[in-house]
Amino acid sequence: MGPAGLIRHRESPVSRRDFLARAGGGFGLLALASLLERDAAAVPASALQAPSVPHFPGKAKSVIWLFMDGGPSHIDLFDPKPTLTKLGGKPLPGTFKRPVTAMGRTAYTPLLSSKRTFQRHGQFGLWVSDWYPEIATCADDLAVLNGCWADGLNHVGSICQMNTGDTLGGRPCLGAWTLYGLGSVCDNLPGYVVLLDYPEDPPGGSRNWGTGFMPANYQGTRFRDGTTPVLHLAPPNASHGTNDSARQRAKLDFVQELNRRHRELRRDDDDLEARIAAYELGFKMQSAAPDVVDLAQETAATKRLYGLDQKATERMARNCLLARRLVERGVRFVQIYCGSGSKWDAHTDVEGNHSRYCRESDRPITGLLKDLKRRGLLDSTLVIWGGEFGRTPMSESGKGRDHNPYGFTMWLAGGGVKRGVVHGATDDIGLYAVEGRTHVNDVHATILHCLGLDHRRLTYLYNGRDERATVNGGNVVTELLA
Amino acid sequence: MRHAAVVAFWILAFTGGAAAEKEAVPAPSRAKPWAFTSPHKSVPPAVADEGWAANSIDRFILAKLQSAALTPSGAADKATLLRRVTFDLTGLLPTPQEQTAFLVDSSPLAFEKLVDRLLASPAYGERMALYWLDLVRYAESDGFKADDYRPNAHKYRDYVIRAFNEDLPYDAFLRQQLAGDEFEPDNPQALIATGLHRLYPDEYNAANLEQRRQEILDDVTEVTGLAFLGLTIGCARCHDHKFDPLLQTDFFRLQAYFAAMNPGDDMPAANAAERRQYDDQLAKWESATKDIRADMDALTAAKRTALRKHALEKFRPEIQEAVLTPPEKRTPYQVQIAILAEKQLVREEKTAPTKLSEDDKKRYQELEKKLTATKPAPLPGAAVLTDIGPQAPPVHLLGGGDWRRPKEVLQPGVPVILGDDQGSDARKDLGGLTRTTGRRAALARWLTRPENPLTARVIVNRVWQQHFGVGLVATPNDFGAQGEPPTHPELLDWLAVDFVEHGWSLKYLHRMMVLSATFRQTSVVTHDDPRLAKDKENKLLWHARRRRMEGEAIRDELLQLAGDLNPRMYGPSARPKLPGGLGSYAWKPDARPEDQNRRSIYVFAKRNLRYPLFDAFDLPDMHNSCARRVRTTTAPQALLMVNSELTLEETQRWSASLLKQHGGDERALLAEAYRAAWGRPASETEIQLGVQFLDRQTSLVGSRDAAVADFCHALVNANEFIYLD
Repeated sequence: MGPAGLIRHRESPVSRRDFLARAGGGFGLLALASLLERDAAAVPASALQAPSVPHFPGKAKSVIWLFMDGGPSHIDLFDPKPTLTKLGGKPLPGTFKRPVTAMGRTAYTPLLSSKRTFQRHGQFGLWVSDWYPEIATCADDLAVLNGCWADGLNHVGSICQMNTGDTLGGRPCLGAWTLYGLGSVCDNLPGYVVLLDYPEDPPGGSRNWGTGFMPANYQGTRFRDGTTPVLHLAPPNASHGTNDSARQRAKLDFVQELNRRHRELRRDDDDLEARIAAYELGFKMQSAAPDVVDLAQETAATKRLYGLDQKATERMARNCLLARRLVERGVRFVQIYCGSGSKWDAHTDVEGNHSRYCRESDRPITGLLKDLKRRGLLDSTLVIWGGEFGRTPMSESGKGRDHNPYGFTMWLAGGGVKRGVVHGATDDIGLYAVEGRTHVNDVHATILHCLGLDHRRLTYLYNGRDERATVNGGNVVTELLA
Repeated sequence: MRHAAVVAFWILAFTGGAAAEKEAVPAPSRAKPWAFTSPHKSVPPAVADEGWAANSIDRFILAKLQSAALTPSGAADKATLLRRVTFDLTGLLPTPQEQTAFLVDSSPLAFEKLVDRLLASPAYGERMALYWLDLVRYAESDGFKADDYRPNAHKYRDYVIRAFNEDLPYDAFLRQQLAGDEFEPDNPQALIATGLHRLYPDEYNAANLEQRRQEILDDVTEVTGLAFLGLTIGCARCHDHKFDPLLQTDFFRLQAYFAAMNPGDDMPAANAAERRQYDDQLAKWESATKDIRADMDALTAAKRTALRKHALEKFRPEIQEAVLTPPEKRTPYQVQIAILAEKQLVREEKTAPTKLSEDDKKRYQELEKKLTATKPAPLPGAAVLTDIGPQAPPVHLLGGGDWRRPKEVLQPGVPVILGDDQGSDARKDLGGLTRTTGRRAALARWLTRPENPLTARVIVNRVWQQHFGVGLVATPNDFGAQGEPPTHPELLDWLAVDFVEHGWSLKYLHRMMVLSATFRQTSVVTHDDPRLAKDKENKLLWHARRRRMEGEAIRDELLQLAGDLNPRMYGPSARPKLPGGLGSYAWKPDARPEDQNRRSIYVFAKRNLRYPLFDAFDLPDMHNSCARRVRTTTAPQALLMVNSELTLEETQRWSASLLKQHGGDERALLAEAYRAAWGRPASETEIQLGVQFLDRQTSLVGSRDAAVADFCHALVNANEFIYLD
């Protein structure tokens, strides 16, 4: 293990360095270091683990991943297909290999042409449909991947892969790999925050931001609604009386007094120190976390920019604004599930479904991009847009579209990527990625690269194997890099 | 040992390759890796300090210490030892009575008596099951999107607890789990035991069943390798193992033992007589209700057919073909695919009654009422892994581990490096089994041969880890070249052979380990101890290692302190209260608090909703085999201990009972609180600190009772509660 070297982690004998890193993990390694220095004079500063140094200087310091849960239709949003419009109502031409589809019969149903109007936007002329009129105004900031493909057919496996690189559960998600590789610079907040706009979980639930075989401290923390976004940030109700912070502080002081006495005879044991520090961090977070979600601190103009003033956009606006506030405070990885609980899953009526969820997300996403830009944060923040797959050109139930993992669109913007480029393409009807094919593992390799991490060197030894975020594959899409 | 040459050498050596090629391998690499040769029981070394050694373990430990110029630490005091051994063997706190009894018992056999009592307590099996269930990725739900409840999964957990409590010999334990249906078809517990390989995460409604079938087989193969052989054979799924002498063909040959798998969800777990009796009753009931059932069938026939057709269309043509082929004409592979498909088709068909017209629905319900009134109660069911029949589908080497790239057909066999292959004559000893292939039984027999180089070493090492914090091999699921070499190879071998000689008895093994002087050492080391410089990591065990409670133990002990712990064993799992805002996978808590308050081993193990306390304290992810939990120290743990309803309510109730008992005597109350939570008498200073805290806190919150609750809450937040010396 070492800065800029092979980051390698063994499960077995745990060193002091590991322990202190773990104690911080998602909750601010720097903060832990300084705390321990102040708190435990006996600990030499050299033993403390600051955030890991990247393999090479990365342009992005943070990631905001806008996850369109359920699978948005690329051919109705960013990837216009005139041929599909012509072939609408006709069967899949014999020149196309018949795909395996989630619903089976949709491999045989007629093609459904898009009802959207597409236009080129900005100085680079990127195509965006009329479902995303506001995002279209940011077209010059986007780096579009039109040749994405994935291995899963169902939501849960596909979301799992988009997060962990594999369709089967059990592996760490990319946010966890990022924290593992870079640590967190955030003083008093989780290093990886997950935001949902609806009460329903994305398929698979919290496993999507879990750590699989890695230690739990790299996992995402799901922010909840309300003033106490983190679970157990405050006691459950006032009847316990412990929400009185003076009372709690006195109690914690007593705990720490007991702990210091306990440690006196056991100074060789770093765990005990780390736990003392963890209590102080927890205490600090009790005020920091409510502060970050206090949107009253934002101006009316900013709120309008995100669409917080309108019912349709309010949910997503809140999360996008929160994402900016989190990134501003040094949070490393923020994931926003838009339409959480597979809301984009337009099997029966793509028009009805997508017009709603595009409306809900268009202004908030645009507001986020513009706000990050004007604050100078876009250069150091990588924004990612996409679902777990796209949708088929074949129709389902007449007006809907089935899952399409064979070809779909994602886009990146900000830290580390070019502006206004398009890479890759699907075939004439948007069924298969045919040019610049970009697998999920490639997307992950590219994201890690933007953060200064080499996906082949970022490894974690588990059950005898040096595991990687990109499993056995992954190539950085160099065409996208700034 | 990490080069292809060594692998090639051993493969050649086994397959009788040319001697000349053997010569080509450099001599030092030729020693067979230690883990692949049978263990040898050497005589425990003579040591200078005969007085210290309580048993043979200590001789091995002491000899190593002496050769490194280290000395062992003194024994822990009695209170510490009592809490430690009680925790290690039961996961609980010693009760006040147990404390008093042990502390006053000055006989030289006091500790031995204590250990025997703990080993005999039902809580022992509950404790040991925690480790085993981690190892076999136990959960009671499917995972994936639906995360469906598995109503029979808990029976496997109960089987494990019983097996440990009854001290079922480990070889029998292993045989039942791999092939209980083949060895003891008449023993319901042995059938339940095969549920081991039904614990894989699953997606019942997967569209691509050929891929799903392969994923299940991969999981089963990998877990078998990790749990029983301590080998990372999963690494050889896509290519020859990079570091160990394991070939890709070894992975698929091992997989071939399971190739005939038939995953039954509700197989009757009953003996032959019970089954016969039930079958008779059922036949009678069926003939008596023939007309009713015919009417019901007629009502739903059209709907069922339509639903089935619709569901079947979802599948690729190959899968549809398997389903549509008459059962007697299906290939074994088609039989398996059809079984997986039927699970979905039947589920669809079952929705037919809800889709009838109102009139028909009513009529159907009336008929159903009549039908069920006389239906014989079903036999208890079990989720099992048996075979589809005496024929297995062929197993191919898969290019890159990809089910779409089959290569040559392979026969069952154990890894080449581990010697002879019993797979080919697997059916020989089974005496006319017609329902299964006998392959899993053959594998189990090979694994439980006393000379198997890995089986005993691997389990002995796991038990060692439970009591000494780190295994003699620090990587308990990896005895290969990427794993850690053993710190005490002679001791590991001695223990492995001795264990088999003593009938594979796990209680014997635990007893010997905890009675050793090595175990009884103190864990308290001053930071300037010169031995730290020689062996900071304590690899040679010159002191005991401090333990940290798992989330499961923290909950058990909190309930214990409050007097809320419900000792009821077995049965469907407990669903304790959850904090709000956990999302759509959250469960509905049990109505009665006492049902919620059973031991943590009985808490619903749901893949998509991890119980927050366990989650915060490093619960494994329940998808992979976990041989050793990682141990993190985090702020969310602190927040949970400080603010969760569980810790607040349980310490509140604990403080209420203390107040009731010692209300008038503050010093007695404080002494009792310290003693209960930390397992030792408090010092005068600690009593004073408590008094001062109560004074301060009372003036802050205005209530003495609330201050006492805060004191109790502080005690369980303190390191001395979470960490055991």
